[in-house]
Amino acid sequence: MNMEIRPILSALLRNKTGPILVAMQVALSLAILANALHIVNERREVAARPSGLADEAATFYFSVRNLNQDTPDQKLAGIKRELEVLRAVPGMVSAGQVSQMPLSQSGTTSSVSADPRQERESAYTSVYATDGAMVKTFGLKLVEGRDFLPHEVPEVNQTLENRIPETILITKALAEKLWPGAPAAGRTMYFGVGNEARGVQVVGVVERLQSVHAEVGVAAEYSVVMPEFSYGRPGTTYAMRAEAGQRDRVMQEAERALRKSSATPMILRIKTVEGDRQDRYRADMALSWMLVTVSVLLLLVTCSGIVGMASLWVTQRRKQIGVRRALGARRIDILRYFIVENVLITSGGVFGGVLLGVGLNQLLVSKLEMTRLPLVYLIGGALMFWAIGILAAYGPAWRAASTSPAMATRST
Amino acid sequence: MFGYYFKLGLRSLRRNRYLTALMVLTLAVGVAASVSTLTILHAMSGDPIPSKSDRMFVPFIDNGQPDGYIPGSDHIDMQMSYKDATNLLRAKPGDRGTAIYGTGMPIEPPRTDIPAFTGFGLAPTRDFFAMFEAPFLHGQPWSVEDETRGANVVVLGRAVAEKMFGEANPVGQRLRMGGDPLTVVGVLDEWNPMPRYYKLIGSGPATGEDFMIPFTTAVRRELPAYGSVSCSESRDSGFASLLASECTWIQLWIETRSSMDRSEMHALLENYASEQRKLGRLKRQAPVELYNVMEWMEKQKVVGNDTRLSAWLAFGFLVLCLVNTVGLLLAKFSVRASEVGIRRALGASRGDIFRQFLIETGVVGLAGGVLGLALAFGALALIGMESKSMAAVARMDWQMLALTFVMSIVASLVAGLLPTWRACQVTPAIQLKSQ
Repeated sequence: MNMEIRPILSALLRNKTGPILVAMQVALSLAILANALHIVNERREVAARPSGLADEAATFYFSVRNLNQDTPDQKLAGIKRELEVLRAVPGMVSAGQVSQMPLSQSGTTSSVSADPRQERESAYTSVYATDGAMVKTFGLKLVEGRDFLPHEVPEVNQTLENRIPETILITKALAEKLWPGAPAAGRTMYFGVGNEARGVQVVGVVERLQSVHAEVGVAAEYSVVMPEFSYGRPGTTYAMRAEAGQRDRVMQEAERALRKSSATPMILRIKTVEGDRQDRYRADMALSWMLVTVSVLLLLVTCSGIVGMASLWVTQRRKQIGVRRALGARRIDILRYFIVENVLITSGGVFGGVLLGVGLNQLLVSKLEMTRLPLVYLIGGALMFWAIGILAAYGPAWRAASTSPAMATRST
Repeated sequence: MFGYYFKLGLRSLRRNRYLTALMVLTLAVGVAASVSTLTILHAMSGDPIPSKSDRMFVPFIDNGQPDGYIPGSDHIDMQMSYKDATNLLRAKPGDRGTAIYGTGMPIEPPRTDIPAFTGFGLAPTRDFFAMFEAPFLHGQPWSVEDETRGANVVVLGRAVAEKMFGEANPVGQRLRMGGDPLTVVGVLDEWNPMPRYYKLIGSGPATGEDFMIPFTTAVRRELPAYGSVSCSESRDSGFASLLASECTWIQLWIETRSSMDRSEMHALLENYASEQRKLGRLKRQAPVELYNVMEWMEKQKVVGNDTRLSAWLAFGFLVLCLVNTVGLLLAKFSVRASEVGIRRALGASRGDIFRQFLIETGVVGLAGGVLGLALAFGALALIGMESKSMAAVARMDWQMLALTFVMSIVASLVAGLLPTWRACQVTPAIQLKSQ
């Protein structure tokens, strides 16, 4: 099949400006698009990570502050009473006291190590405290060992003491970090390093529980759960899970029941895990949308550029096409001519775009701490632009092919 | 001739509506994207207090454990411990200084129709208001006496004051906060420095603090520290042990008389640090660090990578739109070769043609600027929907407005250079011949 590339190429080189402009647009678009889509995908993946909770849509929590003047012991009795009230709400699967919630971006982080003689700590983990109900409330999956037994949960007056627990649950990721490839249940983990390090015994390993900050990377999977029924501080937090689909109703009833149960007014802050997830990933999602919008606009502008240029050449070369048709070229020959011409230009653009895309990615990696661009984005982008180039040029090319040979003899 | 060419430009735009519309739209979208991302970048990286940003400093003294110390590595938390903060304030190293920590208290409104809620505020020392030039709507900061005694006084934010007391001046009234009545001594006016640079670590609400309470009062009442508290060693429970520990939770600011005093200040702080090392309190051989306002914002990464990425991307898009416009202009001007030919034949010089067509592109730029401005407003509104802190930043100011037009016109002129030059090269004879 005679592609007649050489004549097309030499014709292009004689009138360089238009083709160069189109190629530049394709190159710029490809470079930006490949990087933008890569970032969008990355962010979407980060935001889709599971938190480890069995039913996020049904889990919520109250931060309660009772404006009474109770003593710490009275506060303890009050907390127990409130938990009973909450558990009695119809549709409530489980309720318990917690110190912090995953994805809430507010909580305690501590350094842990496998051996106190280490130079540096092994990892930083989110430290959750529970009154024993966390595994049930969050629906966590135990892959090793067991949950806390009731007698392992001490009642701790936080105004008086800072007790280090004796037993602890850790996440699978943390177990892998501390003791790679070995079972963790029964081993001793240490808070901190050196002489000050305090040991706790690991009684169970949960498959997954994200940290409060849900950082990018493996750090988000490092969490520990310690047993402690704490009282004495002015506020406390209750985590609850309703039956599937019942969250809003159960939430309202729980609030009403809780407020009714107290003689003194209370400040109640109600939050849901769903809401926390949205807050945590809001900026990432906003960036994703912005990148997607600009990508779509990029494509539109480039397409309009290709179509515009192709139309212009068709108009400019009417006479030339007329001559060719008069000399015997078929419609399909003219069409093929224009399509091949367009593919050549687009290829030039794609080639430039791949180089530019890699260069842009280098810049992003070095200056903005982004990640390396996998080749598949550039290849996919290149294919897409070839396809776009052909499609965009098709219309004008067909119009060109429909030029009547009589054009050749007219002298306008 | 400018007016004449301007009118010609307008007329020619109207002649070829679709092409013009496409050009204007492409330019407008490119300009809108760039301006809206630039506005956010500008707001986030602008100097919040240009009159004194080079003579307000945040000192950092490393009071971490000696084990695991790697010189030059990132610091976990850059706030101060209670001991360092109070020692340094007492030593008066500059003209003024203030220690701040974030806290919260339940507020019980005097009106029974509003339920109690948790207010978030700051506990600064008195000089805070003068140092950061916080504007007062009513009243004034608490007195030196109040500060020394740790009196039960409070300065309210405007929103909270209006919520509690309506439009009346509440100075002198008492408000029940955290179980005790506090006397209102002042109300802060609307104060939205962008960003809230005075407390970047563990920052408070994006819309501003609900209240300000004297540092000494907050410590006396053992108000909990909200925001970041970082401890490198274990400590007992209780507020007293927090004060005695090496946990960092206080933001310290020092103001000097002039920016020249920086090296003096640094020397003073180094002296203090070596003293503390001799006393055995500071265990690391770490240098003291000093940051002025802009350096502090840079260190705390106020302008995140995502904001920069957005701005770069928008510029790349603008460049694409420019290249596209060059192509469209080439197309537009090439069909008017005969017009150029006639003008040249009638005596127009190449320069005249150049000027005429360049002004025409300028008109396109102007139209693009108007549309781009409208689109930029829309884009900023969309971006502002993301969060309250974004909404505070995503606002157009006069500089950015002017920039929109300048950018649009300059962009169109740059895009028009090549096509205009091409148009000038038309030889009159050929055009006149082929009628």
